[in-house]
Amino acid sequence: MAVDKLMSLKEAVSKYIQDGDTVYYGGFQIMVPMALTHEIIRQKKRNLTTIESSTDVGGLDLLVGAGCVSEIHSAWIMNWYVKAPYAIRRAFQSKQTKRFDVSNFAATSALIAGFLGVPFLPVRGNIGTDMMKLNPTDLKMVKDPFTGEEMTVVRAWRADVAVIHAQVADRLGNVWSWGTRGVTDEFGAMGAKRGVIVTAEEIVEPDITRSDPDRTVVPYFKTLAVVHAPWGAHPSACRGYYGLDIRYSQYQGKYERNAELLPKFLDEWVYGCEDHKAYIDKYIQKFGQAGLDRLKPTLGYKPKYQVDYGFHDPAVWKGVPQYTDEYIKA
Amino acid sequence: MHATNYKLTELMVVRCAKEINDSEVVFAGVGLPLVVVGFAMVTHAPNMILFTEGGSIRATAPPGLAITVDDPALFCNGDASFGMLSTMAALQRGEVDVAFIGGAQIDKYGNINSTGVGDWSKPESFTYFAGSGGANDMATSGKRVLAIMPQDPKKFVEKVDYLTTPGFLDGPGTRKKLGMIGGGPSVVVSTMGVYRFDEKTCEMYLAEYFPGQSVDKVKANCSFDLKISPNVKETEPPTEEEISVLRNIDPTGFYLG
Repeated sequence: MAVDKLMSLKEAVSKYIQDGDTVYYGGFQIMVPMALTHEIIRQKKRNLTTIESSTDVGGLDLLVGAGCVSEIHSAWIMNWYVKAPYAIRRAFQSKQTKRFDVSNFAATSALIAGFLGVPFLPVRGNIGTDMMKLNPTDLKMVKDPFTGEEMTVVRAWRADVAVIHAQVADRLGNVWSWGTRGVTDEFGAMGAKRGVIVTAEEIVEPDITRSDPDRTVVPYFKTLAVVHAPWGAHPSACRGYYGLDIRYSQYQGKYERNAELLPKFLDEWVYGCEDHKAYIDKYIQKFGQAGLDRLKPTLGYKPKYQVDYGFHDPAVWKGVPQYTDEYIKA
Repeated sequence: MHATNYKLTELMVVRCAKEINDSEVVFAGVGLPLVVVGFAMVTHAPNMILFTEGGSIRATAPPGLAITVDDPALFCNGDASFGMLSTMAALQRGEVDVAFIGGAQIDKYGNINSTGVGDWSKPESFTYFAGSGGANDMATSGKRVLAIMPQDPKKFVEKVDYLTTPGFLDGPGTRKKLGMIGGGPSVVVSTMGVYRFDEKTCEMYLAEYFPGQSVDKVKANCSFDLKISPNVKETEPPTEEEISVLRNIDPTGFYLG
């Protein structure tokens, strides 16, 4: 049954994320679930395993730097704006966090295998590399049963719970994402065993989302919680809502770079903010409304053709005689 | 008219763009490749098709500089956009002409490291970079690989610390033996010159050095014993128009510096 899943960030994370969970971490270089990242840190979740293909702006770096993550399965992790994942680098060196590296398409295929409910998928990449040698947890060679040739396979990745950010969701949990759909969010989310926590820029009524189901990347039955979080991907971009905050990503990166400084950042911007609205208020207080205004996107890229899904009522056939002609024997 | 005032990064981008032929399907990784394809699309390769890991498929230059591979600009008036699956699957189907990547280290066989330096099995000694991203998939299955990398003896090395992305691996025949469908490295463009690969030995050699550079200068910035083409020549400098078009694409110098 469809139930109202709209709740606060605090409630969503405390109810649906447990210590030790495997978490699908949504987004890519943009649409990073930062509001959820901050709340997971605030609630001091521990021993999480993260799965995703690639992730930027240092969101995962903060999560690791705050001590929430013990295992990372990924192809690429960065704060591109300081050119390194500093906290993750330190966490690997100190053995706080284990890394399991694969290529982007191996990661995508692992998530698709989870989405499909099958144990593994063949991939063309990774063979011949150190990822293949050093990550037997995710990558193995098998014999193709049809041709007898050796090939690479990647293990299915299935999260316990997925955290994603989207442009729009309804209160039942239908999630819209446009502009390349979810990149890999649709697979990571659908493969999640318990379901999905979504933050969205806007909450709409279900009659809106249901009027355009092609835009839905996660249907309500997979969704555990819907959180209204404007600026929920900041400092990463959200298509149609705001651009990338390069200066803030660099600012955050300077804290990530330094193990002694990072706790000060977390105190001020995460623990010191009750929720995401408080974080954005703090941003305005520190860097001014002009800082946020600078992130306004260039709009005007709306679809130029309005589709009509339409349907046909088979009742019109009532009483219509069979079509026939001289070649068809009655 | 030749430009007189330009940065080596700008020449690297302009020279690299010339390796893209019109009408080719080019899969561009994050960073300078995005600037190069933007430049190629508005100059000599108007029929090029751009693919990115973020799932963008487009036949026209984006309306603004794409900083990321899933940048909103890539999806404004794009041709198709349905996620990483759609573009990377095209690699596996063998439909991508040019795999266009960067990296942190490269060896003489064109093997690339973008994972980190040190000894991975001794974590305390290992300094992580980003990881493969899509570079491994692109270089495994793209018909040919185009790499762009600043020249530095720490980057052009005898052996990469971590083999993330396959070049010719340990030499002739290995890619084929492992079942890779792509042809492997074709060209490397650095801030000092242009490299190609010997068809027989699969080893990298210097084909061109940039104006103001020399064979000796390049050799001094390369940590392996670099082979030099008997026909090695100086790269033609960019034109003023090329530099002006390029600076228009990245007006704040985010990538060009």
